[in-house]
Amino acid sequence: MAKFEIIDIEVIKSMMNLTDEDLKKPLPVPTKWSKPFWDAAKEHRLILRKCINCGNIDHPPYLYCTVCHSDDHQWIEAQGKGTILAYTVNYFGVPFPFWKDLPYALGIIELVEGVRMISNIVDCDPEQLRNGMEVEVVFDDVTDEITLPKWRPVSK
Amino acid sequence: MERGEFAIIGTGEVPCGNYPERSEFEIAYTVAREAIRDAGIDVKEIGAVLCAQHIMSNPVNDYNTEMVFGRLPEAIGARGCKITCMTSSGGASSFSLRKTAEGILCSGETDTVLVVHAQRFSVFSPNEQAKYFAVAGSDVEWEVPYGMTYNALAAMITQAYMAHTGTTIEQIASVCVANRRWAMLQPNAMFNKKELTVEKVLNARMVSYPLTSLMCNVLADGGSAFIMTTAEKARKICDKPVYILGEASSYSHRTITRAKIKDFGSLSENLAPTARLAFERSGLGPEDMDIYQIYGSYPCIQLIVMDALGLWEPGTTGALVESGETSPGGKYPVTTNGEALSFGHTGTGVGIALLVESVRQLQGKAGKAQVEGARFLIENTGGGAFMDCHFTVLGNEIPG
Repeated sequence: MAKFEIIDIEVIKSMMNLTDEDLKKPLPVPTKWSKPFWDAAKEHRLILRKCINCGNIDHPPYLYCTVCHSDDHQWIEAQGKGTILAYTVNYFGVPFPFWKDLPYALGIIELVEGVRMISNIVDCDPEQLRNGMEVEVVFDDVTDEITLPKWRPVSK
Repeated sequence: MERGEFAIIGTGEVPCGNYPERSEFEIAYTVAREAIRDAGIDVKEIGAVLCAQHIMSNPVNDYNTEMVFGRLPEAIGARGCKITCMTSSGGASSFSLRKTAEGILCSGETDTVLVVHAQRFSVFSPNEQAKYFAVAGSDVEWEVPYGMTYNALAAMITQAYMAHTGTTIEQIASVCVANRRWAMLQPNAMFNKKELTVEKVLNARMVSYPLTSLMCNVLADGGSAFIMTTAEKARKICDKPVYILGEASSYSHRTITRAKIKDFGSLSENLAPTARLAFERSGLGPEDMDIYQIYGSYPCIQLIVMDALGLWEPGTTGALVESGETSPGGKYPVTTNGEALSFGHTGTGVGIALLVESVRQLQGKAGKAQVEGARFLIENTGGGAFMDCHFTVLGNEIPG
């Protein structure tokens, strides 16, 4: 039915006159308030910013608690478990650095702690993806400085 | 704002599409003069000139910078202008510009405001456009590193909506088909020559499952303008002013993961209260509307907003569009300019184009797309990664 053909990255490179710079994967640049998250990810830990004053968990984290404005917070260890709320699989029209990864899956994951993240769903057949599927966190060491938390289906 | 306190009395628009030789400035000056002539006013009467931000800054002779520095009033000879500024809220810019205009009119500084939008994507190379649009809207820290895109976001919402409501992919595709039918009645629409079918839409290249390329937007050059005045002035000088009867707004998030919804299939529940409030303020109900002007940007969003209007059972609007009832000649005209998908996506201009079409419809100037006898319509817009939602009831009369 629909055309699922992936255009080869070499074709895209020549069509669009891509340089090496164009193909470098964009990485998170940690901010003052998100640095603890990315430092922990490098250690393969998933942590969340929890307000000590009111208990609210902010993800993404911000300068202060978005509910009560308190600065008092702690970083809690997340269980690394969640479910898929929605998903898609990219085949075309992605930023050039990701072209060679096509097709790849993205999902909105709801952690058991109640917060949500957008991330890749890996180690799965895209055809098997379902809303409500249980997933667990895995860590992708993309560079020496940055590790990205990703999610894979929990095998039964 | 009191019901009917402000009115839009004239509009201007240029053809939407790929026009690399037509600068943003040429577009802005053209649509400004057209709106002034359409309104039947003299340029001297304009006391405020507001511009929508051009998406993507041009390093050479930047439109945005020039607008911020007050180029437009000078270039159009607006000798009576006291206030000029640029604003943007992405796709919701039609609303934020109009609210800014309302505020200026309320202040009494002037009774006449000109609003202008212009966008030229084609000055950028395909490489630059592809690079821009691939990451536009996605959070650079929390989403872009995963290869997230706007299309992927819309695809996830579509997937969840289909799973939640049982809407089929054929029904999603039928939104594109209906939009195209309207665009074919619009001389300024980018895609107004060839009809679409559900089969064509579904057989197009897969972009982000389940969205094919014919369910995703194409960047286009274009622009439009409108003149807004106090109702008092409008009644003196305009045959058929279009009054703003009721408005309501809501903001949800920057990143969709923080939207306060239990799941992504029931987004319409979050929008319904805003629609209700706009109707309440207008003194009218959804059944009183002759046209439903929805800026969805993607086909699924049109259905989600329709679900929120309180006229049809949520989740059944896919079948409604499939039946043809929202197409030209149908009982419920929806988005009569063909929407961004068939009219062309002009960045901050998509909502403005739809507002301008709404005004034309109520003034009886919509040509082949005219909905006969249209008196009232509901207009909707939103921006960002589905960050906000605004509803406005417009009418060419003030209900008793």
